[in-house]
Amino acid sequence: MSDWDWPVVGRSWDLLMEGTKLTLQLFAVSLILATLLGLILALMRMSSISPLRFISAGYVWVFRGIPVFVTLLFAFFVARDLPGLSWLTPIQAGMLGLGVDAAAYKAEIIRAGLLSVDPGQHEASEALGMTKRHYMRRIIVPQSIRVIVPTYMSNSILLLKATSVAVGIGLVELTGITRQLSNSTFRPVELFTAAAVIYLVLTTLLVVPQEYLERRFALKT
Amino acid sequence: MDLDLVWEAIPLIWKGASTTASLTAWALVLGTIGALILALMRLSSIKPFRWFAAGFGWLFRGIPLLILLFFAFFALPDLNIGIVDGILLEPFQAAVVALSIWTAAYQAEVIRSGIIAVDPGQAEASEALGMAKARYMRRIIIPQGVRIMIPPYTSNAMTLLKQTSLATLVTVPEMTLLTQRLFSNDFQFRERIAALALLYLAMTTVFVVIQQVTERTFRLKV
Repeated sequence: MSDWDWPVVGRSWDLLMEGTKLTLQLFAVSLILATLLGLILALMRMSSISPLRFISAGYVWVFRGIPVFVTLLFAFFVARDLPGLSWLTPIQAGMLGLGVDAAAYKAEIIRAGLLSVDPGQHEASEALGMTKRHYMRRIIVPQSIRVIVPTYMSNSILLLKATSVAVGIGLVELTGITRQLSNSTFRPVELFTAAAVIYLVLTTLLVVPQEYLERRFALKT
Repeated sequence: MDLDLVWEAIPLIWKGASTTASLTAWALVLGTIGALILALMRLSSIKPFRWFAAGFGWLFRGIPLLILLFFAFFALPDLNIGIVDGILLEPFQAAVVALSIWTAAYQAEVIRSGIIAVDPGQAEASEALGMAKARYMRRIIIPQGVRIMIPPYTSNAMTLLKQTSLATLVTVPEMTLLTQRLFSNDFQFRERIAALALLYLAMTTVFVVIQQVTERTFRLKV
């Protein structure tokens, strides 16, 4: 027997959109955090000061080696006890956990991009009398962006999907609200299908900026 | 941080390691079989096969694993379509189903790009030698593609190991759930979660070592 009740999705729509809003907020803030932290880690890894290299390599090893769920548990239960972080709300803890975890991946992506630039470019810049800071900003970084963009964007799609793990620390983002709605309406098939469609739309939409950026930074020959 | 509490927690959490390991192993075996079939369908000359495999990849790589897991656990029992009248899965089974589908979707891409990366001249030469497609895929193309597949395959497998932690949310008693039970009794969050992190880190580091060894084994000997 088949007794669908698709209108339940319509009746739950406002709450689903509330959840989607939180999903997008978690995504946006943790993406910014991960990108900044990832950039710092990548530059530390390539620095000539060995303790900086060591810290950066250790950070990447640890956060790529443990599940994002475990990082979120840390952010939720432990981070507030750390000095200066007592103001952390559960949502901010979620953003922190997701951002700290994703930074390890962003660092590797940025480092790989910077390394992919032909070393001859460094040598030529030095031969022209540019300082390291100057030629990194003007010569190396602009060329590496072309290599970084595709992996950076597909990694960001993974981050969007990883925000769903925040349900494990009690946040009611899209996955969390869907679970609650399905418990209260006894309509899991319809509601989880609706959530899946919303996620598919979001991840498919992220392909648009990816293609735009790839075109923007493509070699003009 | 009280290190005694960390050490004390390790054997207690380790009891869940066998569940974590068997979730990973089941999903890796079932998922790899699925991935191989999907990759061959994607490369097939029959259009519906190609569409099916492409659609499968788009769908299951586009939604979070957790939605898949909740669907398998909460929604499958209510799913009535035609002959299927609700599938009730144990938590462990639901987790294996979701993790296998996830693995199939991601590893299919790895296998497909590994096969594509083999020089097309190899296929042409095999045909010139009168080999059938099934035969040269098995004897010529796949063995060469495997070398390209190993690094991304292993790193997906490592991600899979970490993703098994989500099975906690459908009450599978793996390492993360045991940790949550521990700290919800004694509120020693910091030490218990640190112990859990150490165990995961040890397991994933083993994966990295395996990856390096297999890469060396399959390297071209010239």
